[in-house]
Amino acid sequence: MQRIILLLILLSTSIVNAQNITLSGYVKDSSTRETITKAQIIVIPTDQSSKIKDGKSPTEFRASTNGYGFYSITIPTGIHNITIVAPSYTPYTKTINAVETQEINFFIDAEIEGVGTVIIRSKRNNNVKSLDISTQSINGQTIKKIPAFLGEADVIKSIQLLPGVTTVGEGASGFNVRGGSIDQNLVLMDEAPVFNSAHLFGFFSIFNPDAVKDVELVKGGIPANYGGRLSSTLDVKSRDGNKRAFQANGGVGTIFSRLTLEGPLARPESKKIKQLLKPRSTPAKSSFMISGRRSYIDVLAKPFLPDNLAGSQFYFYDLTAKANYSYKRDNIFISTYIGDDVFKAAGLFGVKWGNSTITTRWNHVFNKRLFSNFTYYYSRYRYNLEFTNRDATFNWKSNIVNNSAKVDFNYFYNPKNTVSFGAQTTHYRFIPGEAVAKSNTLNLKFGLPDRYAFENAVYISDDWNANGRFSIRAGIRVSQFIYLGPGKVYLFNREPGKQGKLDSMYSTQKGEVVANYIYPEPRLGFKYQLNNSSSIKGGYNRMVQNLHLISNTAASVPFDVWQPTTNNIKPEIADQIAIGYFKNFNGKQQFEASFETYYKKLQNQVDYIDGASLLLNELLEADLLSGIGRAYGVEAYVKKSSGNLTGWISYTLSRSERQVVGINDGEWYANRFDRLHNLYIVSQYKLNNKWEFAANFVYSTGTPATFYTGQYSVQGYVVPDAGSNARNNVRNPDYHRLDLSVTYTKKKTKKFESNWVFSCYNVYNRRNPFSIYFATNFENKGQNEAIRYSVIGSAIPSVSYNFKF
Amino acid sequence: MKSFKTSFYIFIATIAFILPSCEDVITVDVINKKPKIVVDAFVNNTTDTQTIKLTRSIGYFDSTGSEPTITNAQVAVVDQSASLPKLFLFNHTEKGKYQFVPNPITGDTFTIGHDYALLIVIGTDTLVSFSTLNPTTKIDSINLVDVVGNGPPINTTGKYVELFANDRKGQGDFYWIKTFRNDSFQNSINQLNISADMGNTSNGQDGQLFIYPVRYNGVNDFSRSYKTGETVSIEIHSINVLAFAWFNLVVSENQNGGLFATPPANIFTNVISLNPAKKPAIGGFFCMSAVTSASVTIP
Repeated sequence: MQRIILLLILLSTSIVNAQNITLSGYVKDSSTRETITKAQIIVIPTDQSSKIKDGKSPTEFRASTNGYGFYSITIPTGIHNITIVAPSYTPYTKTINAVETQEINFFIDAEIEGVGTVIIRSKRNNNVKSLDISTQSINGQTIKKIPAFLGEADVIKSIQLLPGVTTVGEGASGFNVRGGSIDQNLVLMDEAPVFNSAHLFGFFSIFNPDAVKDVELVKGGIPANYGGRLSSTLDVKSRDGNKRAFQANGGVGTIFSRLTLEGPLARPESKKIKQLLKPRSTPAKSSFMISGRRSYIDVLAKPFLPDNLAGSQFYFYDLTAKANYSYKRDNIFISTYIGDDVFKAAGLFGVKWGNSTITTRWNHVFNKRLFSNFTYYYSRYRYNLEFTNRDATFNWKSNIVNNSAKVDFNYFYNPKNTVSFGAQTTHYRFIPGEAVAKSNTLNLKFGLPDRYAFENAVYISDDWNANGRFSIRAGIRVSQFIYLGPGKVYLFNREPGKQGKLDSMYSTQKGEVVANYIYPEPRLGFKYQLNNSSSIKGGYNRMVQNLHLISNTAASVPFDVWQPTTNNIKPEIADQIAIGYFKNFNGKQQFEASFETYYKKLQNQVDYIDGASLLLNELLEADLLSGIGRAYGVEAYVKKSSGNLTGWISYTLSRSERQVVGINDGEWYANRFDRLHNLYIVSQYKLNNKWEFAANFVYSTGTPATFYTGQYSVQGYVVPDAGSNARNNVRNPDYHRLDLSVTYTKKKTKKFESNWVFSCYNVYNRRNPFSIYFATNFENKGQNEAIRYSVIGSAIPSVSYNFKF
Repeated sequence: MKSFKTSFYIFIATIAFILPSCEDVITVDVINKKPKIVVDAFVNNTTDTQTIKLTRSIGYFDSTGSEPTITNAQVAVVDQSASLPKLFLFNHTEKGKYQFVPNPITGDTFTIGHDYALLIVIGTDTLVSFSTLNPTTKIDSINLVDVVGNGPPINTTGKYVELFANDRKGQGDFYWIKTFRNDSFQNSINQLNISADMGNTSNGQDGQLFIYPVRYNGVNDFSRSYKTGETVSIEIHSINVLAFAWFNLVVSENQNGGLFATPPANIFTNVISLNPAKKPAIGGFFCMSAVTSASVTIP
């Protein structure tokens, strides 16, 4: 009997011993108290250390912080080594005795870059061990190190050096991911969608790198919390602002100047002026960050302009601001972005476009396992086009406005399961055009009716770690798109491949449902760990897109029209499978490598009848055709993340094609952004604390272009002829380019730090074609010519100065 | 502070390098798979020799004027409104030109208001097309205007002309206004001047003076003012709605180039083939016009 009792006691203690506890909290920067996203928390019980000595892989528990820096990890009780790694942060290690469930916030140090110190920029095998496939993140630090056009570090330009990402060329807005068009990328700035991510027709992106915390690009295996675009999600998060001390940083560059101010929002700890700039001993509960840029070519060029262009304006600016407040288990964030591009030649024409967003978010930690985030955002994209001549003016304004409310939960259910779920509703108002044409004799108003829509979605997804080796992410998103009144509804008689003929039209009442589409979007990802340093991962996702950028020009222009899904335009659908092999080499020098392949099938792709008129066309829908697409390729990527020489090599072999009845005789044809080979080499070399060198090399197959095939003349006029309507029948020459930069850092002090960046873009003067286009040379008997247009036809040196105090 | 000054000078220097875009002509191969039969048939009611030209289309980068001609065709225009259908035979003269000389004495002219058909036989292919000869409007005067050129659109100071003519009463009139400088037809595509009624159909205005772009912009080349002694002749040809649309497409396809070009589109033709088995590819247009004209000599 006694024995039995003893056994029971033993058993019960062993049960107690095997009991799990949960650690939860935030991972923050030790000096600024800014939260750190995607930080890895790795817990290894100390009794496993013998295994490590024997060269075996130990049992370990992993978690990562979510988009708000929150983590929750359930581990057995006992003494554990906790390691936290995050890009640009020094690995943090602590031994803890975990006896009970508790909240722990970790404060980790930003990496101090010195020669000789071992810098671990990698996420320590995270690419091998996490469930994410086809996902790449870049933080503000890395972006700033890549040699940039005119010395201006740029978020989108950095993204364009990643595998699977291409661009049509210099001066093209946006980017193409795995054979998708530019409108198939969901670009989020603090959760709010941005409709045009380009300044100056694509030379710069609208994101100020000084204000960006990190950027994540998801190309495949897209998790269920994202939806609405077919090809990728680019999630840009702004910085929160330093909670301990005032800080300013900025730069003076060739194109624009930048200034960022940040600091705690709290009563100073001391009234002495000198103390104000010193870090607070206790971090404030709230902080702010405000960051702005403005170009100044116009200011500098003003004295040189001819009289008739004296009133010209050409500039762009952007402003990012954020404030946050934390109290116990709640965090509130308010952030906003405003940016515009203005190009006005006095008395001739003017274009203006810009995005603005406001996001408010409230994080609430219900308990150690349930994290929630409530978001409301407003986002607007507007553009304005005007022409003036002696007798007439034409002024066109267009807007797309959306308001959205969204809730997301992360439920850390047990050590093996993390469930994410949430819902979102968005109201859209499309104001496609209010144009006024005025002259002495007439005053015409063209107005296209506004369009309204609701987009709703619910999702749930579970990350299930079946055993140490195998894990699955399974989720589903159900999206609904309702095309609403008031407005005009058009019904067409259609023959495949031909312009629709208007059958009838009617007006709808406010709130009347014209079309309603509901689609389930399954998402799946898996990981199979081959060993401690390699794994195989795969993913499938279906995406549905209800906003379509209507553009049939060779280069996208800022006033391309966004159209909602309607009774005539069906939602675009994409199914993608991706599979990849991930391997890390953890020797003295650390390398991470991946090899991925993908296949994407697209439906209801929007195309245009030949000769379609897209601007201010009330019957635009009659000119649209619908087709299918396919994109496939392989991506190889090697990244060196330690030592004085760092960087990556990325190679993509890909194809992106389309088939539309009525175009190219119904045969498959290459998309405008199809590039077969893409090789990117990005490297940085740190010589010493003062000098740092960087080089980029880019090689891509030329993009296709469409040319007339024939011509004839009637009444002395040359009539160009498209023959059998071949699409993209000509290939541009290949694109390649080398960029170099040198950074000279002046002596760093605690108070002040500054550097000079000298860079040269397109070092060997390559005339890369942005486009080859056709033109008639009237001075040469009307001879037709193919003209290569290079946006940048020579090497472009530049210098910029950056500071921080 | 000193470093700021120096850096400022460097910025100025570097701005000079901003966007040094460039263009150059390169060679590109395109294949014109099936050359089209091209019918150039604009026939009018004047007593001038009337010409219909038959050629084949050439490659886009071939030099214009090198079009192969079709010399073995039979070409005729049929007056379908005459009590007995009347045949006007166009005979081949040279280089694909088929001509007919009207004779007002014998009544061999084309009549306003009549419906005409074009018939072409080339080997086994029979092509037809139809057009009504619509009335045109009269020219009141051509006035001289002295203008100081001060930048686009008027670059050159000097003498220009303005056409005074009213649109015909009633909707649905279409005109092709041809300007001749010393008898040479100004066929630059930028000067292709067509008008739907007064020039703008969308506001329903009708029967008055052609709008400014038609009566002024369309009859001048603002880079070349008229010089003393030169003659300016203007002809107003009546066309129809289809021809108006056709000309519009010719203009837009000719101006479709450059960076923001849209995919090339084929321009329709109103000439059809009667051969059901093997349809040849056809381009071009058939249009019957009435013509009024006036001219001035620049003093």
